[in-house]
Amino acid sequence: MQDNEMPHKRASCGESTGAGPDATASRTALDADELVVGYPTADEPVIDGQTLAVPEGEVTALIGPNGSGKSTLLKGLSNRLEPEDGRVLLDGRRVDSFESKELARKLGRLSQQNTAPDTISVEELVERGRYPHQGFFESRTESDERAVNEAIAMAGVEHLRDREVGTLSGGQTQLVWIAMAIAQDTDVLLLDEPTTFLDPHHQLKVMQIVETLRDDSQMTVVLVLHDIAQAARYADNVVALKDGSMEARGPPEEVITKQLLADVFDIKATVIETEYGPQVVPIEPLDDDESQSSLSRSERTESRPDSPD
Amino acid sequence: MAELFDRLADRQAAASRWYTDSTLAGVALGSIAVLVGATLLQVSFGAFPLTLGEAWGAVFDPRILFSLEAWRGFLLGADNPEWFTQQQHIVWNIRLPRILVGVLVGANLAVSGAIFQIITRNELASPYILGVSDGAGLVVLVVLTAFSEVLPLVPVLAAIGGGAAFLLVYVIAWKNGTSPVRLVLAGVIVGTVFGSVQRALFFFIDDLSTVMSAQAWLSGSLLNTDWAEVRIALPFTVLALALAFVVTKELDVLALGEETADSLGMPVEKMRFAVAGIAVLSTAAAIAVAGLIGFVGLIVPHMVRNVVGGDSRRLLLGCLFLGPALLVGADVGARLALNPIQLPVGIITGLVGGPYFLYLMRTTENLGEV
Repeated sequence: MQDNEMPHKRASCGESTGAGPDATASRTALDADELVVGYPTADEPVIDGQTLAVPEGEVTALIGPNGSGKSTLLKGLSNRLEPEDGRVLLDGRRVDSFESKELARKLGRLSQQNTAPDTISVEELVERGRYPHQGFFESRTESDERAVNEAIAMAGVEHLRDREVGTLSGGQTQLVWIAMAIAQDTDVLLLDEPTTFLDPHHQLKVMQIVETLRDDSQMTVVLVLHDIAQAARYADNVVALKDGSMEARGPPEEVITKQLLADVFDIKATVIETEYGPQVVPIEPLDDDESQSSLSRSERTESRPDSPD
Repeated sequence: MAELFDRLADRQAAASRWYTDSTLAGVALGSIAVLVGATLLQVSFGAFPLTLGEAWGAVFDPRILFSLEAWRGFLLGADNPEWFTQQQHIVWNIRLPRILVGVLVGANLAVSGAIFQIITRNELASPYILGVSDGAGLVVLVVLTAFSEVLPLVPVLAAIGGGAAFLLVYVIAWKNGTSPVRLVLAGVIVGTVFGSVQRALFFFIDDLSTVMSAQAWLSGSLLNTDWAEVRIALPFTVLALALAFVVTKELDVLALGEETADSLGMPVEKMRFAVAGIAVLSTAAAIAVAGLIGFVGLIVPHMVRNVVGGDSRRLLLGCLFLGPALLVGADVGARLALNPIQLPVGIITGLVGGPYFLYLMRTTENLGEV
């Protein structure tokens, strides 16, 4: 795998400072090197030798069809699935060398489907995000309280604070889970399909929160998105995956093209430039052979295709 | 302006905390009321005719309450003072310890049930469903029939048996990690096998009275419990419950499911195992002195959760009060309803618990999810 166009420099110190996105853009928050990730039940790894550098303080979106390995990559990055080979560096340090709570203070991950007990309150659920910051015998401190309040405010769920989780709508529940992840107060946050199954209102809310996290908290966010338009509009970088390998990556304007949509998603589509970034108008599905006519499978897994256009 | 907003939020949070605390206080007070009522009945009535005055005179007799000698007899197993009258003997050595054992057993069953429900994230889980009771029960039955000289060690042995059964359940359920559903299924399997062995044991007992006591024990009974049972159960109960309250934060995180607990930095399998160990110990302490009393560990956590919510600390606190109230209350029925015949309390909890469960099944849509 060749180096990509994204700036690639090891972070030298641990704590992310309050510097603006410009100053931090030259650093990588999360570095995957020749990563091989799979499930213990399957013989073949899902992600087979991929290299990825996630720039610090930016939003990186993973897109790709169902089963392309987006979630698996996310799990590999957070050491939820132990890589079979390769390594992941967080702030220049291997993620598997962190003590588990220590890692959870730096790297947050919200999975696609979450279930909380119906009978706890929103505030209690958000407070669970403070777990990695608390010692075994420690109870809630003032800084926990502050972080919980901030997270609740940032996710815009103040009015739900005392409601039981079981009484919330799907969209509200997702906002509360994101509040929990914010309360965890990490440098890097991985979100697995945070907008799938939500109505447009809540989808936009979630993406707004992601923007706020980047702009106000200098948080690095990596998220899996099914909606290409959302990726185009909100992400600083887009990574397109197919069959466990990266087809393209870079700023949305470069990555999201007609050719890529045909290659990766097997759809015929036009891409319109708008003030909100490139917008995709899907036209019709392509049969498998058509979409793969430009490149054979083996070529694609070995090298990144040249920038289309 | 912001300050005003903050203060409003604080006020609001305080009010909501007051509300949840007050529901917990309600559970506690209600439970204490039931417990006091049950105690009144248990002490006042029974096979031996005592007037109310005699019975309560004995309870609050300062000669006993402040007698070091008497307490040494109760708690350390020394001989009772010779000056005990028959009334004092009936009240202090028969009626009161039975209540005390009921309190300990009820607390243990309720708290361990709550813990098992949290770690399997299944409201239908209880020590019974996870095979723990049957494992512990088998050991107790073997001790009862063959090695009666090690009786004081029964909770430890029962905990080992329950722990072994739970370990077996874990091994069977293990497939790249466990899941709540597989745990419950494996628990049913192991429980069935151990239960069969228990029943098979009966055919090897020659002594009819042992069969009778084993039978009563299998149904779960506080019959003939006295200070010896208190002495057996108390230390293990205190230990297990203290540990349970230490890990409430961990329970809260475990209740969010494996994925989330992992992302919050918890070593899920290890923690689940350790917490289960606490619950096994607690269950064993109850089973060792009272046998297999069903439904308490299932119903009490459920009732408490409905009232005070799913926060582990409040849930366990509520169980600590409601468990004893329910069990001692049921024991009143077991002891006095068909006087002079005494039923095992497990039969009463089953008779009450079954319909309650049926009611739940009919009214709750998502029964089973914590």
